[in-house]
Amino acid sequence: MTVLKTVNLVKIYQNNHVPVPAVRGVDLQVDEGEFVAIMGPSGSGKSTLVHMLGGLDSRTSGEIWLDGKRADTLSESAWALLRREKIGFVFQFFNLVASMTVADNVELPALLAGASPKEARERREYLLDALGLTERVEAAPAQLSGGEQQRVALARALSNKPSLLLADEPTGNLDSRNTRDVLRLLNEVHREGQTIVLVTHDARVASLADRVVSLLDGQIVDDGKIVRRRPGRGGAGEVIDLR
Amino acid sequence: MRAGLRWIRADLRARRGQALLTVLTIAGIVAALITAATLLEDGTNPWRGLFAETNGAHLWIHTKDRPQVVALRQIDGVEQATGPYRSAPVTVLQERRKAPAALRAMPVAAPEVARPVVAEGAWLDRAQPDSVVVERSFARALGLRLGSAVTVTALSGARHVLYVRGIADSADQGFYPEWTPGLIWVLPEKLDRVEPELGRSEWVTGLRLEDPEATQFVSQRVVVMLDEEVQRVYTWREVRAAMELDNRLLGTLLALFGIVGLVAAVLALANAAGGRVLSQLRDLATLKSMGFTRGQVAGLLLVEHGALGLLGIALGVPPGWLVTWLVLDTTSVALVPLLAITAGTALVVLVAVGVPAWRGSRTPPLPAAPAAPPRGRLSRLARLALLVRLPPALVLGARDAFSRRVPAFLTAFGLAVPMMMITIGLGVWATLDGFLAHPEQVGQHARLLVRPDKLTPEQAKALSERDPAVLQVYPGAEVDALVPGEARSIRVRAIGGSASPYPFPVVEGRMYADRGEAVAGQGLLDLLRVKIGDRVWLSVGGTPLIVRIVGRTVEPDLDGQVLSLGVDSLAAKDVVPPEFWGLALKPGADPAEVRDRLLAASGEGLEIQRVVNPAERLAVIRVVIVALVAVLALIGLANLLTASALGLRDHAYDLAVLKAMGLTPRQVMATLVMGTGVLVVLGVVAGTAAGSFVVQGLIDLQGHTSGVGAGIARPPSPLMLAVAVLVAVGAALAVALIPARRAARAQVPITAR
Repeated sequence: MTVLKTVNLVKIYQNNHVPVPAVRGVDLQVDEGEFVAIMGPSGSGKSTLVHMLGGLDSRTSGEIWLDGKRADTLSESAWALLRREKIGFVFQFFNLVASMTVADNVELPALLAGASPKEARERREYLLDALGLTERVEAAPAQLSGGEQQRVALARALSNKPSLLLADEPTGNLDSRNTRDVLRLLNEVHREGQTIVLVTHDARVASLADRVVSLLDGQIVDDGKIVRRRPGRGGAGEVIDLR
Repeated sequence: MRAGLRWIRADLRARRGQALLTVLTIAGIVAALITAATLLEDGTNPWRGLFAETNGAHLWIHTKDRPQVVALRQIDGVEQATGPYRSAPVTVLQERRKAPAALRAMPVAAPEVARPVVAEGAWLDRAQPDSVVVERSFARALGLRLGSAVTVTALSGARHVLYVRGIADSADQGFYPEWTPGLIWVLPEKLDRVEPELGRSEWVTGLRLEDPEATQFVSQRVVVMLDEEVQRVYTWREVRAAMELDNRLLGTLLALFGIVGLVAAVLALANAAGGRVLSQLRDLATLKSMGFTRGQVAGLLLVEHGALGLLGIALGVPPGWLVTWLVLDTTSVALVPLLAITAGTALVVLVAVGVPAWRGSRTPPLPAAPAAPPRGRLSRLARLALLVRLPPALVLGARDAFSRRVPAFLTAFGLAVPMMMITIGLGVWATLDGFLAHPEQVGQHARLLVRPDKLTPEQAKALSERDPAVLQVYPGAEVDALVPGEARSIRVRAIGGSASPYPFPVVEGRMYADRGEAVAGQGLLDLLRVKIGDRVWLSVGGTPLIVRIVGRTVEPDLDGQVLSLGVDSLAAKDVVPPEFWGLALKPGADPAEVRDRLLAASGEGLEIQRVVNPAERLAVIRVVIVALVAVLALIGLANLLTASALGLRDHAYDLAVLKAMGLTPRQVMATLVMGTGVLVVLGVVAGTAAGSFVVQGLIDLQGHTSGVGAGIARPPSPLMLAVAVLVAVGAALAVALIPARRAARAQVPITAR
């Protein structure tokens, strides 16, 4: 089943009345349970694309379909309602609410989506436990390391059980160890059936996905599935195949 | 909903200090406004309430003989009459103090019009012929309680001991001691015993009119009808004015402070909310990315910041209520102004936080978009300043101060308004100090009034003159004069002679220099609608008195409705022998000491009264000023915290760059402090200048309307102003220093933008 579909999606910024195209006709389809990495160099329009997919930025033309419903024509408020229920966001700079504790940050989307405080707490406990953050539950974001903050951000994004997880350079601000931790978690979430669209410029990060979409100057230049053979017991590692 | 509450709670917890400050500020302002409204409203309220309760009379006539009440009642517009009641002057001796009182004969059955309402105890009863009922303010001033013994001395010198059976409220006259003599009701038979001589008493008749506005007309008719019989006429307007005496000034002051304070507080609140929203744009964007709608974000901010204001209002109402209750002792705080203030403040608060809330809600939901301060280039002036090697911290800080125009203006203005009010407060303080230090400038050259009690006037004068501290002794008398056109009485104060005039503080025109010349207070000029140079016709006990008003004095007594002249301008029967001697003391002499000395020298044969300085009566204003300065300082502080938080936020990312450029932590700190410091200095100086510009005009205006007259205002001394400015700027810089210091020392990440 298709979770996300875009048809000829275009975004043109106006910079001092000079049109600057950022995304130029992207057709993308993401199926349920798929893990798609969008790759490309800086300025290729990948962040703009993912922001449009989540309704954080408005499109200039084209269509966005989420769970079979057209979303690009929605108002800002309707987008917000949609995000509440269907979309989780992870950002490069974590964007935790500075004044709230880890627990509150994680529970917030669940509460917003209409869960009872008890449900939200249970969901939070489950997620933080899975992410190994149980003991930091009362800490303020500023007291956490970057990796911890990003794990909290991931927990927050998953708090409302979104049908689509959008991640914008989630490891862009982390060291290699924390990058590994966060990627491992994303992988686990994916294995549990979470649909993920991840933006990165890092090939190692992209290598984790089922499918890599390459973007250059706002257009898709490559879209390939990664077939990975299951490594055997004590096998020699993964072989990546681009079709 | 729940999610929003969670966010609000977390945010409030994160800025507890600022939130508390906001609440306290609003609470202080609301308390001041409520007190002001109650004072202003209550100025008329005790009279209005009492008048309604006692079914009071609009017009009171004191006559030598029993008047023809039937004829009075037939005057057009008169609804009912009460009296005539016989009234005799006595002196009450209570705890070695003497107080003038009028014993008024009243029947056992309380009359229909102007019936005293018993507050404690019971009304007069024939079974207890020695019992009296005392008017409440008089009883309180004398410390009389139910069952207390009252010793009264009649004009004949005979002493009688009476017992307080009841304490009653009345709208027949003003409160003691503003209105003398005090009022005591006795049974007619008892009065006949205390003062058998009819010639030493007068008759008091009250008229209740159909239309209060017709008072003037009716009183003229009465004066014409009774002619020479009339001793004194007064109307409900004078009673009302007497009852509201000091409350009005206080109320006006509080209202002025309260309203300007409210404006300042609302600005501070808007500034605080705006600054907070600005520094939270990233968090707000994050919330939106999580699925908060625009309306929800606006609602969130409105609830959070509005709730602080509303909490402040809720906290401010009880103290406001309590203050009025404690100070005024009224249980009736008028409901309408209370509601108006509460609702009005709430509305203003919501509007003030509504704008930033709306702006916050319009943040795009892209959390990554940093809310950068508007870029500004170094002005030519700044570049020049750097070229001539002014400290870079100074230049950069000064430039930073204005990089956000609106908050910069709000900060400077938000400090200027409280500072202006503080300057005005200091001016009022200085004026009160001026009253105390120079009583002669408010017409109180004579500090003691000596009435010959058991001695002859000559003996009293000789004794007074012999005292080493006494500079001069002026003969004096006070009489009531009827103004024929106005048909009401005014006070005529004769003191000193035309040859050696008493030094009245004449602020306009000139001092009287001859018989038939007089000076008057502003209140009198307004009452009679005359100018300096005009002639007025008065009647003192049937004798015509024609004087020309040649000057205006500062007159703190009786709403300024006093005519002052030399004793020789009055008929001899009123001033020979003088009623009292006014003693001017040598500089530095203590009136209390002189009083004790004179009392001892005369063997307690004199009655010596200390002139009460208006500043003593207004001492409570100082408390008010201190409290208001505290509230205003809170407002200034709130503004400052906002400015400094915003400055830090705007420059948090610049700090690393500044450090990289080679600024030491100290220079970075100086840059940050300078950014707010420039605005502080600007605001404080502008506020002080504006305050000192308007303060004299304001006080004189108040003086004019209260009848005292212009010319009383003293500006705060330059030293006082300088200290105030230095304290304000110093405190502000100290407040700005703490976060700046922390920021300058902190390791700042260069990332994140």
